[in-house]
Amino acid sequence: MTTVRDGLERLGEILDFAWKVISRVLSGRVLAFAGESIRQAGILISGSVGVIILLVFALGLQCGIQGAYGTQSIGAPSIAGAFTAVCNLREVTPYAFGYMMAAKVGTGIVAELGAMRISDEIDALEVMGFDAITYLGATRLLGYMIVLPFVFIVAIGVGFLGSYVAVVWQFGRVSSAAYLEIFWVFQTPLDMVFSLVKGMSMSAFVILVGCYFGYNASGGPVGVGTATARSMAVNIVGIHAIGLLSTQLFWGSDPRSPVGG
Amino acid sequence: MVPVTGGPLTALPGTVGAMGVLLLRTTRAIVRTPLAFGPELVSQIAFAMRVGWMPLVLAAVAMSYGPAGIQAAGFLNLVGAIDRMGGLFSITVIREFAPLVCAIVMAGVAGTAMCADLGARKIREELDALSVLGVDPVTNLVVPRFLALIVVTMIFNVYALIFGTLAGLLVAVVNGSSAGVFFHSYFDNAATLEVLASFVKTAIFGGIIAIVCCYKGLTAEGGAAGVGRAVNQAVVLTFLAIGLVDYAFTQALLALSPELSATR
Repeated sequence: MTTVRDGLERLGEILDFAWKVISRVLSGRVLAFAGESIRQAGILISGSVGVIILLVFALGLQCGIQGAYGTQSIGAPSIAGAFTAVCNLREVTPYAFGYMMAAKVGTGIVAELGAMRISDEIDALEVMGFDAITYLGATRLLGYMIVLPFVFIVAIGVGFLGSYVAVVWQFGRVSSAAYLEIFWVFQTPLDMVFSLVKGMSMSAFVILVGCYFGYNASGGPVGVGTATARSMAVNIVGIHAIGLLSTQLFWGSDPRSPVGG
Repeated sequence: MVPVTGGPLTALPGTVGAMGVLLLRTTRAIVRTPLAFGPELVSQIAFAMRVGWMPLVLAAVAMSYGPAGIQAAGFLNLVGAIDRMGGLFSITVIREFAPLVCAIVMAGVAGTAMCADLGARKIREELDALSVLGVDPVTNLVVPRFLALIVVTMIFNVYALIFGTLAGLLVAVVNGSSAGVFFHSYFDNAATLEVLASFVKTAIFGGIIAIVCCYKGLTAEGGAAGVGRAVNQAVVLTFLAIGLVDYAFTQALLALSPELSATR
């Protein structure tokens, strides 16, 4: 029972901290450090986007071959696009995006803020009169959330490209035009918006968890490593919970497919 | 283990090579006497299972219920073929989602913890002390973790299969099918080779996670951010490797065994 209570306490602390960060963004206090936000956004673009895109591409290829072999097994390789459209847009790209956000950005925040915490830099900030949560947490949340929707849309495109490469070039049982016709019929702009909401919820969760574990790190350099590992475990649970709930919410009652009446 | 220096791209070939060397040394130490890793192996297996079981169950249910379940059930309902749900699940869960979920959970939960643990020993100079005492870190620390992660990832695959299938059953029942129809179609389409390949794949994933995370832990550098940075790089490299190996493995399997692509 103690582990359950500890877990709930930890969850409460994370929510409490997350609300502190979010309220500093919403109230506009973060705008005092707008330059820092933009700098963090720049670091995200130059440092993390590449690997996120790479994982999305790899899983897009995966969607492609599953769709190609799966539809071939029912004797209709030309409808591979129906599978890859749903697979990429609705599920695999948000999950791949969330996984890599957690791996690259989330643990990166923990390592960085944790190092600042244990070398007493965060205390020094507060002594100087800076609000550390605003300067370190809220600026990151704002900066990343400005950039991430665009990164996500690029990632969707790269996932599409991966599936196209796998189905049309590599598998080669369907022509480019026939593949793309079915592919575009099986998605709407609203699906894209839903997918974006799903990906952004996962990203916001990852950023806030990263800030919490980094800000509250203790126990020397070893403690930073432990906090980084723990944040990853929390992220894995959170990403899947968000993915499950948003799929049920967005597509659970209406499959949104152009089939039938 | 000497860390490879340079930018992220220039250091990549050297890092991959160094991980290959670590893999060779590990496999050699596994078969060479004295086999001194027994107690450590047991404690690592217990550790990995303890930290991993809850995320694994949740992730397996979420992956099967959401992507495979809701999306497929919606489509199959439209074309009036909800009775084929079981066959679809026996393919997607066994071939794809169960191994992937195991790999993601083990990398994110157990791999990171092992990397942090080894990194902590490295920067506290415990590894140097061990070497001075004549205790080889590869034989005594990497080998048990390597074997433990392979074993636990394969055991977890069983649970991912069970919980993934249960989540599929839940979706089928929610959408008006019945358990009997679901399992009829499920076992019609299940193939022994598919299950075998699923376990081979998880074993490969477990080995990758162990080598990458142990390498990054053993080469953690000092400084306040050192261990955290090592864990960060370890999990990024592991996820990328899992994605690429998954693609190569599945493609090779499907191309070499066309009988797997037959609907029964």
